[in-house]
Amino acid sequence: MTIGHSSTPTSLHSSSEASGQPPVLELRDVHVPGRQLPRLDGLSLRLEAGERVALLGPSGAGKSTLLAVANGLLAPRRGAVLWQGQPRARSAARRRRQQARIGTLWQDLRLIEELSVQQNLNAARLARWGWPRALLNLLWPLESEACAAVLRRLDLDPVLLDQPVTALSGGQRQRVALARLLRQEPTLLLADEPLASLDPRLADELLQLLLHLAQPPRALLLSLHRPDLLGGFDRAIGLRQGRLVFDQPVQTLRADALQTLYAGADPADQFAAAAAAPGAANGFRP
Amino acid sequence: MTAHASIQPAPPLLVLLPALVVLPVLLALPLLLHGGGWDLIGQFAWAALTPCLDPLVLRSLLNGLGVTVGMALLGWALSLVLGLSLGLLSSRLLWRTLAGSALPAELIRRLLALPRSIHELIWGLLLLQLIGQQPAVAVVAIAIPFGALVARVLSDLLDALPTDGLDALRAAGAPAPAALLTALGPPLLPGLISYGGYRLECALRSATLLGVFGLGGLGNELLLTQQSLQFHELWSGLWLLLAVMLSLEGGIGMLRRRWSMPRRFGLAGDGGKGRCGAAGRRGREILLVLTVLLPVLLLVARGLAVDPAALLHWQPLPPVAPQGWAMALALPWAALVGSTVGLTLLAAGLAVGGAPLLLLLLAPWRWGRLLLQLLWAFGRLWPPPLTALLLLFVLQPGVITAALALGFHNLGILGRLLLEGSEATGPAREQALLCSGTGPRLALLYGRFSGLARSYLAYGAYRADVILRETVVVGLVAGSGLGSQLRESLSAFAWDQLALLLAVYALLTLVGEDLSDRGRQRLLGAA
Repeated sequence: MTIGHSSTPTSLHSSSEASGQPPVLELRDVHVPGRQLPRLDGLSLRLEAGERVALLGPSGAGKSTLLAVANGLLAPRRGAVLWQGQPRARSAARRRRQQARIGTLWQDLRLIEELSVQQNLNAARLARWGWPRALLNLLWPLESEACAAVLRRLDLDPVLLDQPVTALSGGQRQRVALARLLRQEPTLLLADEPLASLDPRLADELLQLLLHLAQPPRALLLSLHRPDLLGGFDRAIGLRQGRLVFDQPVQTLRADALQTLYAGADPADQFAAAAAAPGAANGFRP
Repeated sequence: MTAHASIQPAPPLLVLLPALVVLPVLLALPLLLHGGGWDLIGQFAWAALTPCLDPLVLRSLLNGLGVTVGMALLGWALSLVLGLSLGLLSSRLLWRTLAGSALPAELIRRLLALPRSIHELIWGLLLLQLIGQQPAVAVVAIAIPFGALVARVLSDLLDALPTDGLDALRAAGAPAPAALLTALGPPLLPGLISYGGYRLECALRSATLLGVFGLGGLGNELLLTQQSLQFHELWSGLWLLLAVMLSLEGGIGMLRRRWSMPRRFGLAGDGGKGRCGAAGRRGREILLVLTVLLPVLLLVARGLAVDPAALLHWQPLPPVAPQGWAMALALPWAALVGSTVGLTLLAAGLAVGGAPLLLLLLAPWRWGRLLLQLLWAFGRLWPPPLTALLLLFVLQPGVITAALALGFHNLGILGRLLLEGSEATGPAREQALLCSGTGPRLALLYGRFSGLARSYLAYGAYRADVILRETVVVGLVAGSGLGSQLRESLSAFAWDQLALLLAVYALLTLVGEDLSDRGRQRLLGAA
C-alpha cells in the first residue's frame, strides 16, 4: 500500500531541452486541493514538442484533474502552469489565443448535435473568427475546402460535411471530433480517457490516429485506463493519490512499477495492470 | 466538390432571427419621441432607489397587495375547479371509455375555445358593466379564461397518455371509472400539479393587471400613484410586489423540485421528455398542502368579502346606442385587425428575440446575468399598461409604443425560461468551446443556444399566441388595435359594436392559436 508514495519519481527528459524551444506544457509543483486529500499534490512535469505521453493511474489518482489543469479549465491553488513557456495570460484576448493552441478531445466528444459536420468543424475556428464569420457559418457553412481536407486526412468522405452530426455512426463521430481538433490547429493535444467507452477495434483505431497526429510541434498527453495500450507512446507518467509515482520512457517501464501503481486499487484496474505486465517487462515498443 | 445544401439557418441563428425587429423599432424610436418627459423618467428612475417608507402609504399598499394576492388565489382556485371538471368533460379518451363516443368531447372543446380566446381583462370589464364593482368580478374574470385554458391542457395531457394500462385494466374486468382513475391518475398528476403552479404565477400577474383597470387591489394603487407622479410611492408598491412574486415563483419552483414535478416547459433540450420523465414524489405532502389550501381559500374569501350570490344580481343594461349595425360595420376593420396583428408580431419579436440577444450581449460579465434576472423580474410583475403609460411620458402613442410595453412584459417571462433552460442544458459544450479559445458570447451561442433553439422557439410560438390575446391590454392604453376600439365601444354602451368586436377578436385569437400550434409542431417535429 505504501510503495506508491515512497518510490522516487524517475524523471527523464530526453531530447528537446537542447533545441531551445520552451516545452509545450510545463507544470511546476502544482497543488490542487480536494475535499479530504489533495487532488494534485506537488506535481511537476514537462511535455516537449513531438512527445507522446500516457497518463496512468487507478481511478481517483488525479488524471482528470491534471488534464483539467493542463487545458486551463482548473487553476491550481499553488504552483505554475506554463504553456510554451508562458503563464496564463491576463488579458482576455491573449488568453483566448493561448487557449486556441490547447486542443482537448473530450470523452463525450461534445459535438454540437444540432449543427452539421462542417459547422462543427468550424466551431474550432471560433477563437480566431469574429462575429460576422461565426454568424455566417450558421447560415452558410464556411471554408469547405479546409474542412474537406481535415476529413480526408482522417479517411472520412467529404460528402459528410453537409450531414447533421446526428446522422453519423459512432466511429464517424470519433473521427469528426478528431477532425475538429485538427481544424483547431493546437500545439498541445489533451485527451481524457478517450478510449474508455469504445469497443477494442475502435479504441485501437482512435489511438493510432491520435499518436499519428502528435508530430512536432504538437505534443500529446492522454490519460489511459489500460496499460496494455502503451505501445506507441514515448513516455508514461504514473499518478497515484495526486502524486507522481513514475515518469519514464515506456521502454524502461517495468511490470512491477505498474503493479505498484495499481496496488490496492479497483480490481478491474489491477486486472488491467496484470494483463499488461508481461509486455511491460519487455518494453512496449511494437 | 462538396455540394452545399441551400441556405438554411442553423438552430442558434434561428433563435436570433426574431430579434431583427429590434432594428426597425430602433430606427422608428427617434421619430416617436415627443421631446418632453425625460425629467419624469429621471425622477422615476431615481425613485427606484428611494421608495417611500411612510407607514401610512405602506399600510395602504400592503392592503392593496393583500387584495391582489387574495383575488389571484381565489381566481386561481376557481379556475382549477372549473378547469378540472371541464377538462375531464372535454377529454376524448374519457368519453370514449365511458360512453363509447368522443363526439361530446369535440363539441365541448369547440365551445371552450370562446372563453379561452377572450382575455381576462375583457371578461372583467364586461362583468363590471353587468354586475358592478365588487371583489368577485376579478375572481370570476380570472377564472373564466384560466379555467378554459386548464381544461384544454388537462384534456390534451389526458388524451396524449398511453392507454396500455387502461386497456389492460378494462380487459381484466375493472369498471370504467375505477380503471380510468387507476391507470391515468398517477401519470397525469405530476404534469397537472406543475401546470397548476405555473397558473398561480399567471394569476398573480393577471390580478395585478385587473387592478390597474379598476377592479381593486394593488394594481389600482400603482396606477393612481403613477398618474399623480408619486414615483416614490409607486416604487414602494413595485418593490413589495416584486418580493411577493419572486417568493411565489421561488416557492413554487422549490415545491416542483421537491416533489419531482416536471418543468412546465422544460427547455433542457430533452425534446419535452422531462414532462413525462419526472415522476411525482411525496404524495402525503402534496395532499397536506391541498388540504391546508381549502380553509386558507375560505378565509381569503371572507377577508375579501366575496359574495357569490351578488354575481347573480345583474344590473339592467343601458339601452343600445341608436346608431345600430350599420355603424358597427362601418368601423375601420382592416386597420383595426392589421394593427392588432402588427402589434402582436412586433411585441412577440421583441420578447422572443430580445431575451437571447440580451443574454448574449451581457454574457461576458458575471453581474450581467444578475442584472438581467432583475430586469426580467420587473418585466414580469409590471403590468404592461403601466409600462405603456410610462413610455408615453417620452413617446407618442401608437403600435410601437404598445409593442414595447407588451414586449417588455413577455420578455420577462421568456427571459426567465431561457435562462433556466440554458442552465439546465449543462455546461459541457459551452465549456469545450471556451477551452478552445472561443469567446464567451460565441461559446454561449454555439454551445448552449444550439440545443435550446427549437424548444425555445416552440415556446415562443405559444407565447406569441398569448401576446395576441394580451394586445387588448395595451391597446386600451396606447390607443392601437382592437383593444382601443373595444374600450370606446364599451364606454359608449354600443353593445352591437362590442359584440362584433368580440367576435372578430375571438376569431383572430383562434386563428392565431391554430397558427402557433402548427408552428410549434413543426419546430418540435423537426428536432
